[in-house]
Amino acid sequence: MRRSLGFIEVDWGHLLLLLFIGGWILAYLIDTRATSLSVHNLLLVQPTAIIGLILCLIVLPQCFRRAGPARAAASPEGLVTDRRRELGELGKIALLATAFGAFVTSLETVGFDVACWLFTAIGLYICGERRLWLIGLFTTIFTVLLIYGYRAMIPFPFPLSVL
Amino acid sequence: MPAVIDIAATQSAIGILSSSWSAWVWVIPGLLVGLFFGAMPGISITMAMAICLPMTLYMEFLPAIIFLTSIYTGAGFGGAVPAILMNIPGTSAAVATTFDGYPMSRQGRHNEALGAGLAASVIGTLASYVLLYLTVVPMAEVVLKMGPLEMLVVAIWGMMLLGSLTGDSMARGLLAGTFGVLLGTVGMNTAGYIRGTMGIPWLLDGISPIPAMMGLLAASQLFILINTRYLVENDAGRSISLAKILRGVRFSLGYPGVILRGSVIGIGIGAVPGVGASIANLLSYAETKRTSPDPNSFGKGNPKGVVASESANSSSEGGSMATLFALGIPGGSATAILLAAFAMHNIVGGPQFISERMDVVYAIIISNFAQAILLFFVGIAFVYCAAYIVRVPMRFLIPVVLVVATFGSYAIEGNSAGPIILWVFSIIGWAMVRYDYPVAATVVGLLLGRLLENNAINTYQISGGDAAYILERPAAIAVLILMVLSFGVTAWSQHRRQKRKLSEQAAAP
Repeated sequence: MRRSLGFIEVDWGHLLLLLFIGGWILAYLIDTRATSLSVHNLLLVQPTAIIGLILCLIVLPQCFRRAGPARAAASPEGLVTDRRRELGELGKIALLATAFGAFVTSLETVGFDVACWLFTAIGLYICGERRLWLIGLFTTIFTVLLIYGYRAMIPFPFPLSVL
Repeated sequence: MPAVIDIAATQSAIGILSSSWSAWVWVIPGLLVGLFFGAMPGISITMAMAICLPMTLYMEFLPAIIFLTSIYTGAGFGGAVPAILMNIPGTSAAVATTFDGYPMSRQGRHNEALGAGLAASVIGTLASYVLLYLTVVPMAEVVLKMGPLEMLVVAIWGMMLLGSLTGDSMARGLLAGTFGVLLGTVGMNTAGYIRGTMGIPWLLDGISPIPAMMGLLAASQLFILINTRYLVENDAGRSISLAKILRGVRFSLGYPGVILRGSVIGIGIGAVPGVGASIANLLSYAETKRTSPDPNSFGKGNPKGVVASESANSSSEGGSMATLFALGIPGGSATAILLAAFAMHNIVGGPQFISERMDVVYAIIISNFAQAILLFFVGIAFVYCAAYIVRVPMRFLIPVVLVVATFGSYAIEGNSAGPIILWVFSIIGWAMVRYDYPVAATVVGLLLGRLLENNAINTYQISGGDAAYILERPAAIAVLILMVLSFGVTAWSQHRRQKRKLSEQAAAP
């Protein structure tokens, strides 16, 4: 995910990640200091957080890079194709990650059996399986085996809707 | 100091074992249960033993303990199977196994990786019980001398691993490690201060490390493989071969030094209550990488990395058993279950148990020799079946593994905290891998962060901030000297190697 900004290329994805890590470290340091200024509270967290923030500043220039002659010489069609392929892959990952997020947050509300069946079916489709009969069959068998298997193994009850 | 080996008790132990079939009948079922549970992501050794604990109520004491230790032995290796095949460290003890085991699988060398891991586990377990047999009493006395300062030094030694996990960019690697250490300190610390929980009650105990590890290492990897057809891209590389598994076994046998070092680290660290296999595998990996003539090949599929990790995590079982037998203190949660089994049979571990029932202690140790040998044969069959995972298309494997990992992370605490942590860390892990941050460094930081902080605070409280306190702790000085010596010898040998290389280059026409 790179964008040319005049002669400078910005790796926006990397910049976003670095801002997330740096932002979290800063927020954590502020929260820790707000809790107490006692040595027992700051002994490890404060120096480590400061080192972390310094490291963020050291890494920051790596998100920017001067556009090289190879990039300038590359054909616009080739760049567009690469970009489309990259966006397609990112879109698939975003879809899977979103479905996974919906799955983990809905486990206790819709029941483990229904959530598991739905996510496995959607996951299979996103990952490239197009035979709907196979998706239905595989997902059902897998869900039943998993639910009964885990129910026998783990000591905690988990909410179910159908099984 | 008491006698090191009691010959009469050994003879009596052999007599007990040879006259009782019930002591042996539970070994193979125990190993199978352990291997199966250990290979299931999120199902810990403790959980497997806890589930089987009520069954032991109806057994005699010795068969009960042998059954539970068989589960322990099986699960010790079982965790390596998903670590190698799917980059999922089912337990924190198998983290370092993923570093080289998974790259080997991606290169189509899954058979060799599984064979090498199995052999290292078997030898590690054997070595630890041999050492336990020889030193059960003196070792326990050494363990009693380990305080917070010594633990802090051990944790710092573990942190040194971060330096070797930095990858191509030192700054990104250190940032990933620092990020991990801070994540490991979230929640209420040992002094009672609550930080970074964002008001979420389940974060009070900190970020659960197993779901976070599964997210960082495995789920993130699955997102990346979304357009991949199979785990092993090369069609010919997807073979399942007993000959190749045995080649991996032979490879392990070719590195007795790596296994011995891993076993010694595993036993030493495993004996310390509260530390155990999760640190031992990291230390052993770091030491093997540091002393290797080709350290750059580690993390890219060097089987020595698998051997180092597996020999250490398996041998830590013997170490933790030493503390259990001699002091009645469980070294970890698995030995706490064993202690519960002791209690169920009205037996209390500790010095009195050692002095009065040395024959039973030796019987358990000797049966573990047999367990380790049987693990080899049962393990070969198990890994042969498990290796078929490389033939499953990724479009099936990705959703299935994500669902199994989610169920496993739920199984840890019985609420949605685990699955949510898994999801959040899978996205963070994916982004970190995409931009060349070594997630392994974050995982190591996460594992060591809390240990480091708790022991730093305890040491500060005991010493009152006086640095001279270290002079009163000979065990800490000994560990520190060992650490410095280890680094010094490595630096010296690297310097010599580099000098030789330069002189060879200068001599070349």
